[in-house]
Amino acid sequence: MFRLMLATALAALPLAASAQEITVGAANMAAYLDPGRDHSNVGSQFYYNSFDTLIDRDHTKLAPEWEPALATSWELIEPTIMELKLRENVKFHNGDAMTADDVIFSLNRMMQATFPPYVVRAKDRLANFPMAEKVDEHTIRIRANREEPLWETLISLQQVMIIPEAYTKALTGDPLVAEDSDFEAFALAPVGTGPYRIETFQPGESLVWERFDNFWGDKAPLERVNVVQISETASRLTALKTGEADIITNIAPDQLSLIDKDKNLKTAGSATALFHVMIMNQNHPKLEDPRIRQAMSLAIDRDALNEALWLGKGVVPSTHTMAEMGALHQPDLVTFEYDPERAKALLKEAGYDGFEITFDTAPSYYTNGLLAAQAIMEMWAAVGLNGKVVVGDKWTGNSPDLMARNWSNPMYFADPFGSFGVMWAPDGPSQSEGRFNTDADYAQKWERFRYSTDLEERKVAYAELMERVKENPAVLPLYRPFESWGMKNAINWAPMPGHIPYVLDFRAGSITLTDS
Amino acid sequence: MIPYLARVVVKSVVTLFAIFTVTFIATRLSGNPIDTFLGEGLTTEGREELIRYFQLDASLWQQYLAFLRGAMSGEFGLSFIDRRPVTQVVGDRLWASGQLLLASVGLTVLVAIPLGVLGAIYRKSWVGSAVMMIAFAGYAMPSFILSILMVLTFSYWLNWLPVVGNSTLLHFIMPTIAMSGVLVAALTRFTRNAMLDALGQDFIRTARAKGLRESRVVLRHGLGNAGVTVISVIGLQVAGLAAAGSVVVENIFSWPGIGQLLVNSALERDYPVLQFGVITVAIAVVVINAITDIAYAFADPRIRLAHS
Repeated sequence: MFRLMLATALAALPLAASAQEITVGAANMAAYLDPGRDHSNVGSQFYYNSFDTLIDRDHTKLAPEWEPALATSWELIEPTIMELKLRENVKFHNGDAMTADDVIFSLNRMMQATFPPYVVRAKDRLANFPMAEKVDEHTIRIRANREEPLWETLISLQQVMIIPEAYTKALTGDPLVAEDSDFEAFALAPVGTGPYRIETFQPGESLVWERFDNFWGDKAPLERVNVVQISETASRLTALKTGEADIITNIAPDQLSLIDKDKNLKTAGSATALFHVMIMNQNHPKLEDPRIRQAMSLAIDRDALNEALWLGKGVVPSTHTMAEMGALHQPDLVTFEYDPERAKALLKEAGYDGFEITFDTAPSYYTNGLLAAQAIMEMWAAVGLNGKVVVGDKWTGNSPDLMARNWSNPMYFADPFGSFGVMWAPDGPSQSEGRFNTDADYAQKWERFRYSTDLEERKVAYAELMERVKENPAVLPLYRPFESWGMKNAINWAPMPGHIPYVLDFRAGSITLTDS
Repeated sequence: MIPYLARVVVKSVVTLFAIFTVTFIATRLSGNPIDTFLGEGLTTEGREELIRYFQLDASLWQQYLAFLRGAMSGEFGLSFIDRRPVTQVVGDRLWASGQLLLASVGLTVLVAIPLGVLGAIYRKSWVGSAVMMIAFAGYAMPSFILSILMVLTFSYWLNWLPVVGNSTLLHFIMPTIAMSGVLVAALTRFTRNAMLDALGQDFIRTARAKGLRESRVVLRHGLGNAGVTVISVIGLQVAGLAAAGSVVVENIFSWPGIGQLLVNSALERDYPVLQFGVITVAIAVVVINAITDIAYAFADPRIRLAHS
């Protein structure tokens, strides 16, 4: 009887049924899918398969090489106006043909946002673009307020992926008006132009992609992809082993050996383009003397943290920079180092009297976050700093009582502006929360770094900003965590260096199945 | 009987109101949703804009009144995150949890009552000892350990059973056993003790003296009288299971039920979903308790007579 049941059930299991179908066991499944309002690590897994931007890049390469996507060509007709020719015969998943109006609608939903979740997303990265306008059926223009060094980078953001206008507007209320509720409804029934159509989406639970036969580019290599949330790590590993999943996400370094020692399975991983950081409150009365914060930073042996918590697979940076930032990657700058002797000397100079310094962390929000905090307390103690870990779920980054805590600085796009530049801008999130100060000099340096069209000038200005950070620290990037995926041997897939973190890219050329 | 029923209903309504209030306060004490689900890097103005958008800017008192007004008319609001009505978000997952609950209770009753009866009849032989041993072992083993052990054995090593989701009957085996483990242990012991109690009574001797068959003595007169205890234990267990039992098991087996939803929405501070999820579970518990109360009255005439 048991055998019979087993046989029937196995026959009913759709998993790995055909060579062109795979199942992904994801630690997290998005609760909504709207590339515009989302910038989470969970959502970023899913957009690239179903949506296109006007300009794309070769994601196999670390340095940007721009490629035509929904725009076939683009040029600056004035320093602040870019004109783009649109690809013809592009279809949305619902059958609508993509028009210049769809493109303008998609761009302006962010550039002239009224829907509050769009407003906040557009403000930190698209503020230089007041609007997009239609020239003719196949030509559009995007205007910038001032000369823009990052045209292609910003036009290829996930947030400005193209969605259908008529479809979206008709979702709720007046079919000719874009209401807030239209965008909310879109996030549950997303439609794009990418190689995979979202066939079913159960928020927080599962997603099914189906090959979109009318895709304008190279045919998708997989016919169907099922993504299921398997939040428990042990269950994810087991599902890979039983064959219920072909790829699983979010494997911590200490679990890798479990997969690697099975000869039918393998892993692929990379240091995520995201820093776990320690932030320090410049305005806490007891921490106003920068020497104390310098000591807090110099006392931390980040290589030891990397060895102990990430088996040495993480990346410890010397400054706030990542290899993904191409020409702007400046690994030669030394902004952050480990020097316990200097830390001791600085504390002595500053007259530190042994007062307690609190370090806030959530119990489980960041992988290894609590362990790192506890190790940091030991490192602080070694130079005479009296630290204490405070565990709580509340975000304390905006509290005047904050002394230090953990946080993260993701790379939202491949430029220092996409990481440090967003988080530590004048009037940006850190300053507006009252724990970071800027002045005219900082603002001027930030402006040159953000807007100068001369690459060397941008690098110099960024180095000057890092010098300011070193003198009066408010942040210490600890490491880039190492993230892995487990998969069957038959699957050839790995995260690509040209993507933002966590993207599951299953487009042509990005994944192949050995037995197909 | 009618006044008795009325009392059960009034008790339930008062309990629900208390639960509504406590849930509202507890969810709001746990942190701000803007900190969690919108990710990093919001400016203070951006945060305020979103707080207005999600209507979190009204005072707690106003939010509470709005929540109660909504609850009266069956409107429990939209999820902060996916913006669907919470009734739909929770409703989508209700049946999956219900199935698991029913399967677990079914298995528990099928296994525990016969075991308890056997344990009572053969209390002096090895059969009785074996029953008690099973009961104690089950009691000592928390469901997550049992789950992980089963997953390791039957999926990881033997690859006999699937671990993800609820799509086939095979998927039910491990989660059902995991949920039932402790319940079987408890119910077996209570049934055994209640049976021992009943079988020691004078009317059992009378029944045997009348010349009734032993099976009829045990099942009709023994189990019939042990019934009140057994029902109340089942009621308590089902209520406990509905309230919290499934959270861990659903997570381990990626069961698309309410337990998993509650965990996710608690982590993200999705108040409306969390609130309504807790309320749904609370309603289930209250209803189960009410049914148990009524079942008592049927099982034991003394209860309904005493109350009315």
